[in-house]
Amino acid sequence: MKTNNSLKGIRIIDLSMGWAGPLAARNLADLGADVIKVESCENFDWWRSWEATQEWIDDDGAEKSPAFNSVQRNNRNITLDLSRLEGRELLLKLVGTANAVMENFSGSVLPKLKLSYEIFKDAKKDIILLSMPAFGSTGPWKMFRAYGSTVEQSSGLPHINGLSSDPPMMHHVAYGDAVGGLNGVSALLIALRHQAQAGEGQFIDLSQVESLFPLAAHGILEFTANGKAPLRNGNKSEFFAPHGVYPCVGEDKWIVIQILNEDQWLRFQEIGGADMKRFGDLKDRLSKLDDLDKTIAKWTSTKEAQKLMYILQGAKIPAASTHTMSSLLNDPHLNSRNFWQWLDRAVVGNQPNPSAPFNINGKRLAIKTPAPTLGQHNHEVLTGILGLKQAELDRLEDIGIIGSKPKMPSS
Amino acid sequence: MTKALEGLRVVDIGGSISTEYCSKIFADYGAEVINLEPQSGFETRKSPPFIKGKDESAMHAYLNTKKLSVRKDKLRKESLEDLISSADLVLNNGEKSELSSISRGVFSDISWYGNGGNYDNFIGTDAQCFALNGMLRGLGSVEGPPIIPSGYQAQIVGGMAAFIGSLGQVLGVELGNNKKPSLVETSIYEATLCFTEVGAVSFFNTGLEGKRLGVNRFAPTYPLGVFPCKEGWIGLTVLTPSQWHAFCKLLKMEDLALVPEYQTSLGRLQDIATIEPVIKERLLNFSAKDLFYKAQEEAIPLVQVPTMEELLEVDQFLEREAFTFAVLSDKDSIKVPSVPFRLMETPPSFGGYVADLGENTLSFDK
Repeated sequence: MKTNNSLKGIRIIDLSMGWAGPLAARNLADLGADVIKVESCENFDWWRSWEATQEWIDDDGAEKSPAFNSVQRNNRNITLDLSRLEGRELLLKLVGTANAVMENFSGSVLPKLKLSYEIFKDAKKDIILLSMPAFGSTGPWKMFRAYGSTVEQSSGLPHINGLSSDPPMMHHVAYGDAVGGLNGVSALLIALRHQAQAGEGQFIDLSQVESLFPLAAHGILEFTANGKAPLRNGNKSEFFAPHGVYPCVGEDKWIVIQILNEDQWLRFQEIGGADMKRFGDLKDRLSKLDDLDKTIAKWTSTKEAQKLMYILQGAKIPAASTHTMSSLLNDPHLNSRNFWQWLDRAVVGNQPNPSAPFNINGKRLAIKTPAPTLGQHNHEVLTGILGLKQAELDRLEDIGIIGSKPKMPSS
Repeated sequence: MTKALEGLRVVDIGGSISTEYCSKIFADYGAEVINLEPQSGFETRKSPPFIKGKDESAMHAYLNTKKLSVRKDKLRKESLEDLISSADLVLNNGEKSELSSISRGVFSDISWYGNGGNYDNFIGTDAQCFALNGMLRGLGSVEGPPIIPSGYQAQIVGGMAAFIGSLGQVLGVELGNNKKPSLVETSIYEATLCFTEVGAVSFFNTGLEGKRLGVNRFAPTYPLGVFPCKEGWIGLTVLTPSQWHAFCKLLKMEDLALVPEYQTSLGRLQDIATIEPVIKERLLNFSAKDLFYKAQEEAIPLVQVPTMEELLEVDQFLEREAFTFAVLSDKDSIKVPSVPFRLMETPPSFGGYVADLGENTLSFDK
């Protein structure tokens, strides 16, 4: 493993919350950027909790959210109360030292904080601002509220997934967030390249809903190129058979099997035994699909999913067993590639951290630091970057501009 | 107007959905992208959906606007070497290539499972990535089988991850942080773990294993999902207590609003049997469109769930030019998604011409 310093010297101020923005910031930090996340004690990242209570605060709940901690590694964390003039001014001083600011609020939040791209630009002439609300920064829906789930619901994807007998099917509790995050970091990298080349910053308008359109492209194109919406046929394919998810030994154990050509089918017949010989070429198999699926399901139901996956893949037949969240941590492939990096984190102890999905020069990108605690780098950033004295920090803490413990909102 | 990635040359020697989505972002922002195709063309030229009345892939058209197409077998050896060695970035699909040794820029390999590891020799598919990342098991009815996500979603996500790794390394060279160009190896499977890594880390901390709860049912909250209205479908997510209260008021279910157990997202999830029939009945009094605007006025995250046909007519997407055109060599065109993010000083090019196989070969054969 090796730390990556491709973006050394680049500083990002991350005002984003939840999943999408922080995931984008995490990717930049993995590549060596100095990412400083700014929260406040009252208005902390809602991914720490959206139902905070005093009991939760007293129990260090803010430091225990696995979801929050999983996207904050390699960052620095400071607190500033941006609703007050002094906090806002310190933020703008920090922006003056940065390459980019990022936020993923709904459209009404920055104006409430008296912040905007123009104001950030006054603080730093060539600043980049990535704004990534659900529906983008223009258009009649620009102020509308959404979560990652809303983003998927609005993208058209549900109407091209699932079974026609069910409602249009979602994939995930927050599918749009992860994809929005990947688009966010892509957009920032492009803008950083232009900033380095031309000395010019800019505003980036990212729509999280539109970020999902490429994932729905097959359905969109079926309609625009052929005038018909794709059928919601569940696991059935009009091009391949067998093509499905079949039960294996044990509770809720499954295997995906997809035969993509006739050579694979001949090999599958050899492994599957006599019952499979009843089915012929693709046309024959497609005409007997229910019978074929039942025959395969009967065969797989006596097999252990992961073992069968290795047997079929060993014969060059596409197959994969289904993981659970627990088995994912023990995936032999991921473990052989050191995908999970274990780091000791304050309050919660040793934690698994997912690696970046790409290796550089054959090496994993080493994670330097686990998720920081709330305000962990107040001193380091405010004295080291902004030149404040310790007495000034003490005063800011006394009046609640900075801090390291969440507070219940005053109203 | 300046293009942010102008001056970069990207050569795609892989021709997969992932390499082409990765290079599409480069092309949209001004890089010169050259598809170096075999005699039979890239595989994506045979990928559904196809364009009605033509033997052409709509997917290939969407992914390849503004790119040039060069036939590898028609290039002389020195021309081929010049092309590869002049590229800032070469994109490959995981198969071994003799061209990697000629590359002088960043060489970026995008494969299903990455180079090395237990699944190194596995044949990959989109469905497999979702099976192995743990997402598939949560989809579909309680009794199963789980339902495979449609299309090329894993490959698109892999292409995005590769774009981040690749441009990150190109930028590292330009900034002087990387002394020499690098090899970037992206695993499509690992890229899709962005959806489930949080679940795995949560399991490690809580010991709670999620179960398949049924179509559109996901922990940790309810109501969340896609529901029928008098006309159309709505998508709904109620998370916070204030959203729950506002939603109850909107649907005139004030009696449910203050039930103590329903003040938390998990509390509501545990009593779906009581809440859902009431919600479903009330929703049938509204059209999806009316309810959408009323709910958003109350800051409730509720939207219409558009069909493919409706998606292309949504005013928000029309105003933002969320769809553009891929223009074919016979001057026909098809509507395709635009770029999801806009850099305002260096805007992307929307859509564009799709080169026929080998159309630009002569320009590169010196």
